[in-house]
Order: sequence, then structure tokens, then C-alpha cells
Amino acid sequence: MTRLTRREFLGTSSAGLGLGFLGGSALLGGCATGMKGDFMPKASRRVVVIGGGWGGATAAKYVRLGDPAIEVVLIEPNRAFVSCPFSNLVLSGLRSIDSITFGYDGLRKQGVKVIQEMAVAIEPDTKRVRVGEGYLQYDRLVVSPGVEFQWEQVEGLAQNEDKVLHAWKAGAQTVELARQLQSMADGGVFVLTVPPVAYRCPPGPYERICQVAWYLKSNKPKSKLIVLDANPNIVSKAALFREAWKAYPNIDYRASNKVVAVDPGVREVRTEFDRVKYDVINLIPPQRAGGIAVQADLVGADKRWCEVDHVTYESVKQKGVHVIGDATIGLPVPKSGNVANAMGKICATAIVQLLNGKPVPAIPPGNTCYSWVSDREAIAVVNSYRIDNGKVVQIEQKLTPAQSVSVAQRAVGWAQSIWSDMLA
Amino acid sequence: MPRTTSLIVVAAGAILIALLAKSAWAGPLDHPGYAKTLTCTACHGAAGNSKSDAMPILAGMSPAYFKKQVAAYADGARPSPEMEPYAKMVLQLGVDDVARYFADQKPEPTPIKAPVEAVGRGRVAAVQCVICHGPDGKGDPSRLIPSLAGQPPGYLRDQMLLFKQDKRNPADQTLNAVKALMHTIPDDTFGDLAAYYSSLR
Repeated sequence: MTRLTRREFLGTSSAGLGLGFLGGSALLGGCATGMKGDFMPKASRRVVVIGGGWGGATAAKYVRLGDPAIEVVLIEPNRAFVSCPFSNLVLSGLRSIDSITFGYDGLRKQGVKVIQEMAVAIEPDTKRVRVGEGYLQYDRLVVSPGVEFQWEQVEGLAQNEDKVLHAWKAGAQTVELARQLQSMADGGVFVLTVPPVAYRCPPGPYERICQVAWYLKSNKPKSKLIVLDANPNIVSKAALFREAWKAYPNIDYRASNKVVAVDPGVREVRTEFDRVKYDVINLIPPQRAGGIAVQADLVGADKRWCEVDHVTYESVKQKGVHVIGDATIGLPVPKSGNVANAMGKICATAIVQLLNGKPVPAIPPGNTCYSWVSDREAIAVVNSYRIDNGKVVQIEQKLTPAQSVSVAQRAVGWAQSIWSDMLA
Repeated sequence: MPRTTSLIVVAAGAILIALLAKSAWAGPLDHPGYAKTLTCTACHGAAGNSKSDAMPILAGMSPAYFKKQVAAYADGARPSPEMEPYAKMVLQLGVDDVARYFADQKPEPTPIKAPVEAVGRGRVAAVQCVICHGPDGKGDPSRLIPSLAGQPPGYLRDQMLLFKQDKRNPADQTLNAVKALMHTIPDDTFGDLAAYYSSLR
């Protein structure tokens, strides 16, 4: 076998996975105004899934795998899925956005009915989901809404959403932030801000720091990366990241520096006790569960996250409504794509059993999380769990001993596998 | 009247058949191992048929070999930061059910296509491997020798390197033969051997 060049090594193509890139055939609906009343009458037992990300896409597929007699309708406003894992490599120019973008045709082949729309509201009493001017009926509902940003937590952010980029939902903002980084003059200052926990993907900001620092070191050696972290220390894989950052003297890391305001007019962010000028800003805002979960009052007293049963993922607040992925709280698991994928499968299996009047198995999730610390090396953390008296409990957390090329190769293998598991 | 009766009989019969079919229908969830492998499939693929180059295919694997590997991962004898926590989870969930589930699944050979020239060179280089793994690469479950046929080339190459560096089951004396053999093979040839075995069906 010939040695792979870096580009080939990183370039796991979507074609090679059998995942159609931006497949868009057989869209149902597509026009909210055409959706009135019960626009898709329920003929058999039906599961409706809101959100086609790591949790929702997986749940939709696994309900069909578990019992093909159950109808599954997935409601997702985006035409294609863009992976947040590996999107930091788009910022450093090591991967294209196309290589992490996949259509939903694989799910359609599994018999999932994909509606490219935004779910407007949930009505648990009548078991309906509002879409457009109409509604869909369900027997069980899976809500996998991801996160929404709390713009109001940072002064000046709400009115400048288009100028102050988060790039924390992979897609157009990822591409635009990469462009801003590439067009920054050598000697410029890139400021990256980390929100307070809990937020999507705990090690994600620190991987991004590595990727931006690697890019600057390689392409703009006079530039600097200032990190304003709201947390008192690196949130995840701290020792491994500290070791990796020794290769990047261009990083100026400031812990316990919570951003409270931003002013793109004068290119300045303000922390509780400091002002920092920037040329390019990447402000990752504080987060809570996706809007529909907040609006449907699936969130707890904190108005941020959704508490669920640890075995079925049924909301503790609404019967028949299951919540999975980043929107959940209370399990000792990180808000990661891998955990959302596991929750999707476990929740789907529980729902199939419940709809068939059979006992629900108690299955714990798992977490495998890779972070790229340079153009060729990665680190990883793995968590395994068990269920004790109906609650998820950690068995063990294990870190890779050091960063390496072989961990990076396994990261590529992980991505290939899990994207297929969700969408193929 | 008789016509109506026969219609009713036919309809009742159809309903009865439908009811029987429903109650007798055994879905994938009825396998005692199905739910216990849900976490595994993120990396190892649905039903253990990995589609990636780095992760091995578990579908069709001999239960004895599977259980030996899970035990070795869990106690650190086969060092892997990824697999050690998951192996402990599998032991707690019930390794017999998990091993049985994967053994019962039909293996689909890796979709990773190795270059034809490398496969040809690998076939020539494999003369010593066949002594244990057999002419078809299917191994010998009774001696805990795994099948290599159709496994992803990247995984096979990695394992040969780990044997050579004595990083796979370093203390396991029963593997001395394979470790010694790997020492006689240049690193570059591992890719050819991996290509060849990944191409076997």
C-alpha cells in the first residue's frame, strides 16, 4: 500500500462512504404555505423526529432498522448535514466544507420521510407538531434540537450576528471565518472566546485554538491568537492541550476572562475587567437547548437544558416526548456528536420496544472524542458508562497518552464510520 | 348471502394471518445482543460491518476470539485507550450476548479497495501467513486464530506493526510465533500483506 500524502490522508471523501453529497431528491413539502391542517395523515404508528443532526438523524434511521413497520418522519430545515467534528480543519484549510457535508438520501433509502422545514411548535396534549400552517400527528416524538445561542448574554452581539462569527454550527459561518482568517494581514490579532460551561463540544474550542495557531504559525508568523476563556481552566483534555500548545508560542491564553461585550465598529471585545482589540473575532456565545425545546417548556428551572429519563430519554416534563443530544442535561456525559449518536440509537430502540409493548433494555451511551492538535496529530478521550438504578454512571475515562499520527488516523476512521452510522 | 359469508371468511382469515405474522415477527431487537452493541456500531458499523479503514469488522467473528480480545482490552493486556473503557462496558453488559450477536451477523467485506499491484505482491509475501491463517485467510477459531479475509487494510497493517513493535499483547507468550514472524518482514511489506488479505472473500 502506498503512503498517503497529507491531503489524501485527510480527504476521506463522501463518495467513498457511499454517502450522497447534497442529495436532494424526493423532498416532501418544501413549501410551508402548502402545509395546512393534517397535511400528512397518519396511517400507521408514527415517530416524528425534530432535527437531523447527530442525534436526530441517527434516531430516525434506527427506528426504521428496529421495526420497519413504524413510519418515521424527520423534520429538518437544512437540505444537508454539515459535521461539526472535523469542521475546525476547514478553518485551517486542511479540509473542504464539501468533505464534511452530506445529504439525507441515505435516510430516505431507509424509508425515512424527510421534510425540509422548520418545526414551529410542539403540542404534546394532542400529539401534534406544527409545521408551516399545518400539523403532523405522532405516537412518539423525538426532539433533537441541538443548541441555540444566548445572544443577549454578550452586549452588542444580538445586533451584530453577521459580523461577529461563532462558526459553532458548521456551515456558512465556518467557511466565512476561514476566509477572514486567511485574509487577515500578517501581524494581525485573532481573538477567540470560549463560553462558560455547559456548551456544545467541551474540547472543541481548544482544538480550534490548535488549528488557528497552526495556521498562523505556518502562514502568518507575526500574528497572534488571544484566547479569552470564561472558564478557570481548559475544560477538556487540559494536560494534552497544554502539551500541544508548546508548539505554538503565538497563543496568548487567558483563563477566567469572560467576554461581556463586543463592538465590531472599533473591533474590540470587553471582558469583566479588560478591553482587547482584534483584527478577526471568533466569539462562541453561551448556549442553551435549541429554541423549540425552550418554547415547548421541555427545559428545567434554569430555562437552558432538558432533563430526561436515562434509559428511554423521555422528557421528565412531557410524556411521549423524548429529548436527545446536546439539549439534554443530568447525564454525566459531554455534549458531543458521539454521545448524541449513541442517545439516538438507544432512544430509537426504546421507542420501538414501547410501541410494540415490549420491555425497554437499559443501555448506556459511550463517548469517543478526537481533537486535532496540528495538521497531522490528534489526541482522544473515551468515556464508557453503565446504568445503575436507572441512572447513567461513568465506568471509566481514558485519554491517549500523547498526541500522535496514529490517533489522527483513527480519528479519520471514526468519522468515516459514524457518519455512515448516522446517514448511510 | 353465501357470497357475503365467503367474503367474511376470507377477510377474517386475512386478519388472522396478519395477527399471527405480527406476533411471530422477530425483529433485530429480539436478539439478546442487539441493544448491547448499539454503542459499538458508531465505530464498527451497523451489525459490526465496519466501513472505515481503521476499525475492524466484527460481523461473523468467532465468539471465542472476540471474548479473548475484549478481556485483553479490559485488563490492559492489549493496550488501547479507545477500547479499554468500551471493553469494560461490554463485560458489564454481558460479553456472551455481544459476542453471539456479532458472530450471527453476515460479514460484508471492507469497501476499501486496495491497489491491484499491492494485492499481487501481498499474495506472494503471504506464504508464511497461510500456515496459521489458512490458504483462504479464514483462520482457525479452535486455536483462536482470527480470520483476516476482507478486513480493512489499514487495520491489518496497524496490527502487524503493533505485533512487530511488541505493542499488541506485549506479555502474551502464546503470540511469540506471530511476533517473531513480523520481525522478519520489512515494514513496507505490511501494506502489501494488508492489501492481499483485505481482498480475500
